[in-house]
Amino acid sequence: MINSSPITSWEGAEAIFTFADSPMGMAVCFWVMTAMLIVPLVVSYNAEENAEIEHQ
Amino acid sequence: MTPEEMQAAIEALQGLSSTNMEIFYYWCTGIMILIHAGFLMYEMGASRVKHSLASGTKNILAFAFMIPTFYMFGWLIYLSMWQGFTYDPVWGEFGLPMSAIMGPNMADQATGVFWGAFTLFACTTASILSGAVIERIRMASFVVLAVILGSVVWNLAASWGWHPAGWLVTEWGYHDAVASGVVHTISGFFALGVLINLGPRIGKFNADGSANIIRGHSLPMTITGLMLIVVGFFGFIGACVLYNYGTNGGWVNIYGGPTTLSAYAFNTLMAIAGGIIGCYACTRDPFWMMSGALCGVISAAAGLDLWYPPLAFAIAFAGGYLGPWAAKQLEKMGIDDAVGAVSVHGICGVWGLLAVGIFLGGYPGFSSWDGFEVPAINMMGQVVGAVVMIATGFIPGYVLSWIFNKLGILRAGDGVQRDGMDHELEGIAYPEEIRSH
Repeated sequence: MINSSPITSWEGAEAIFTFADSPMGMAVCFWVMTAMLIVPLVVSYNAEENAEIEHQ
Repeated sequence: MTPEEMQAAIEALQGLSSTNMEIFYYWCTGIMILIHAGFLMYEMGASRVKHSLASGTKNILAFAFMIPTFYMFGWLIYLSMWQGFTYDPVWGEFGLPMSAIMGPNMADQATGVFWGAFTLFACTTASILSGAVIERIRMASFVVLAVILGSVVWNLAASWGWHPAGWLVTEWGYHDAVASGVVHTISGFFALGVLINLGPRIGKFNADGSANIIRGHSLPMTITGLMLIVVGFFGFIGACVLYNYGTNGGWVNIYGGPTTLSAYAFNTLMAIAGGIIGCYACTRDPFWMMSGALCGVISAAAGLDLWYPPLAFAIAFAGGYLGPWAAKQLEKMGIDDAVGAVSVHGICGVWGLLAVGIFLGGYPGFSSWDGFEVPAINMMGQVVGAVVMIATGFIPGYVLSWIFNKLGILRAGDGVQRDGMDHELEGIAYPEEIRSH
């Protein structure tokens, strides 16, 4: 399992979100999210192209 | 009570005030989602049956794409670009998506709540564009345009004119308390830029240039949607004030200037009424009558913290008259704005900015940031602000849509428009016996 916790105790804890102490972990999540925004748009463009051909 | 106990009591009260503000903003954000429920109904109702699901899907996707993109770069732009096109790295750090406060943080109760409210403002700008372009814009291109408008353009303008240190505020005395300019004018003129390149719906204009009326499939749905937008506007307007943020211990406007929630209640309701009646006087059209509520609020929004309520009514009435008139002029120019977004948001937004210059000149300026001498409200500041808002909205909308048009990805083909945009989706809006073509 991935250990994503930035804290080992709740005492004095501040940033508690997953990978808060790992720039690499945050970067991976960020770029995965970016891809998840771009891929559906590419899929949508393709579907629209197909619809254009079908409905000429 | 000892001095230590007194200090502890003061700190406890300050903490309670801060908590109250966060709760207030949190629920304003929730209420603002009703704007999108309203836009969803409004645009689906204004579409013909064969396009209705596509119109709704477009609206939902704009909402969904706006949230992560505003997280990625929208909030950063608002916080850091208040000087113009110069990035402020100190404030920018608070909006970076990998900042320690851009997620659950026990030391920061507020960032997510404010980010949420601003994200919903961004979603509103996208919905304004969405209505104008129904029944012929391609879905993916619309989403990209909406992201540029909602997560780049409007928040850049907001950083300039809706921020305690924004250069329009501190150098010109620009006053736009509830975003006549930074949300509505920007979005309306962005939509105009897109509409010029997108072209009209098939059948909208005859060969001689005269226009046909293309009726949506459900006017009751449209009108109800508009009323929901009005409800959502109370969240929007509530999120334009801050509680106990300034040194005066009360409510302050977006610049940190003293105000009261009472001012917003008086003038919002007066503006809704004035806009509805102004539109009714102008058109007798139920669609425009209900759109008049938006015309009214947008016209009065820039000075909503300061109007004498009957003056707010009169300004909104004039906006209610102006909206449908401007829509008619645009139609004569060959612009097919399916729901009147350019006139309702763009033109009424400009009117709202100018009304502040006409009627509110001399009110002292205010910034909650130290070190700024903000000029008093003045006509020149409002005119400069209006020009900046028009240009900042129109230019990117026109340029981007021009590029998309050249690439052939802006407008659905005639066949798709003829058969219905819903054919690109799975599912049908209504049973076959009540479908129309």
